[in-house]
Formats: sequence, structure tokens, C-alpha cells
Amino acid sequence: MPGAPTADSRFQEIESHRTYLVRYALSQLRDAQLAEEAVQEALLAALESIGGFDGRSSLRTWLTSILRFKVIDLQRRAIKERANESLDEEHLGDEESWLDDHFDETGHWRMAPQAWSDPEASLDQRRFWEAFERCLSGLSATAGRVFFRREVLGDDTEAICRDEKITASNCWVILHRARISLRSCLEAGWFGKDASHGR
Amino acid sequence: MAADHRVDCRRASRLLSLACERELDTVEVQALKRHLDACLMCRNFSVQLDFMRKAAKRYSRG
Repeated sequence: MPGAPTADSRFQEIESHRTYLVRYALSQLRDAQLAEEAVQEALLAALESIGGFDGRSSLRTWLTSILRFKVIDLQRRAIKERANESLDEEHLGDEESWLDDHFDETGHWRMAPQAWSDPEASLDQRRFWEAFERCLSGLSATAGRVFFRREVLGDDTEAICRDEKITASNCWVILHRARISLRSCLEAGWFGKDASHGR
Repeated sequence: MAADHRVDCRRASRLLSLACERELDTVEVQALKRHLDACLMCRNFSVQLDFMRKAAKRYSRG
């Protein structure tokens, strides 16, 4: 077929999505080695079945759907390994006490949100994205996973709840936490008066 | 409503986050608005929420 992509150009096109795919895998798995493993497996599977890609969705969407299966698979294995451990700090029962770290007894912010100067300009700065990434990885594992799917991938809360096996209101609590944590991390590490990033 | 007057920053932040997930009802909207009118910190937080959503979308482009 004239104009059909060659195997080589296909490979390059697939490879061009690697950074994104690693970010996705990392956000879900929280383990660089596991994330690499998942992406590697997904890319191999993609190359093998590229003939089945009908072009109805974007290549990235198709690749992400393959990766998602690999990630879920690895998560299941990890959950099985953790099965004997007791509930960790992610337990949601302590929502109010968690908020106590951010609000005083009168309900005021302990660290008052400042006006960020020209945040839009940050979007073009490489160092901002390093700070952003650092703050994302500073979230708890659950908050990181949920926030990434909700805000980065734009998934429905419903689908996220189903995969995480949590109720919608727990999902909202997790997102509330994630947003507050991310906010204070960005302010401390990038936007704040005391942030030293040499802008 | 008496409850409206008790929207502090803690509750306001919760409502602002919730507004990203579902439509707030009239009581919630009014309570939130009243708080925001009087509170610069929470207005800052609200702007920051919008910015973080925008940044997350941009981040997804990889």
C-alpha cells in the first residue's frame, strides 16, 4: 500500500510516546523499575499487535490502554504480596485529623495560600515541571494514583472509584487531600517567596 | 441558613475541591460564595486549583 507507514516509522512513532507512558506507569505503580517493566512489556505487545490498531483512537490512547492492562496486572501482583500487611496510613478514617495539619482549630489555613505570581509563565519552564513532578511523587500512593487519573488523564471519578474499589465520597476526600498537598508543595517549592529555584 | 455562617476555610477548601467533581447545590454555592467574598486566602486557593488542573492537563501531553 503506498504511503503506509513502514515498520521503522511505526516503531519511532510508538517510541515517541514513551515519556508519557513512563509517567503514567510511574504515577500508578510508584516504582521506577516496575514502571519501566510495564512500559517495556506494553511497547512490545503494541509492536506485536500494531496490525490490530485501527486508527479510530489516537495511537497514544491505544498504547495507554495496553499499558493500563500491564499496570493493573502488576498492581494485582503487588496487592497479593502486601495482602498480609495491616492497613497503612492510607486508611481514610483519619480524614479530619489529616486536615488538622493544614487548618487550625478555628478552621483557618495554617499556611495561608499566597497569590502566585504569573503561574502561566511557569508552564513553559522546564524547572517548573521538575518541581511539579517532585510534588506529584510526594503525594501518598493512593492520592498520587487517583489525582493522576482524575486530573492528568481526565478519567471519570466513577471509573477511578471502581478500579480503586472505593466510594465516590472517599474518592473526593482523596482528591481534596491531593489538591491541598500539591498546592502547599508547589508554593513551598516553586511559587513561594522562599522558594529558591533561581527563576 | 445558620449553617452558612459556619463555612470556614477548611470547609470552603472542601467545597472548592468538590466543585471539580460534581455540581454544588444552591446552599453550597451560596455558602461558598459568601466565604470567598470575605477570604482572600481561599480565593487564592481557588485560582490555584484552576491552575493545577491546567498544569495537569498540560503534563499529560508528555
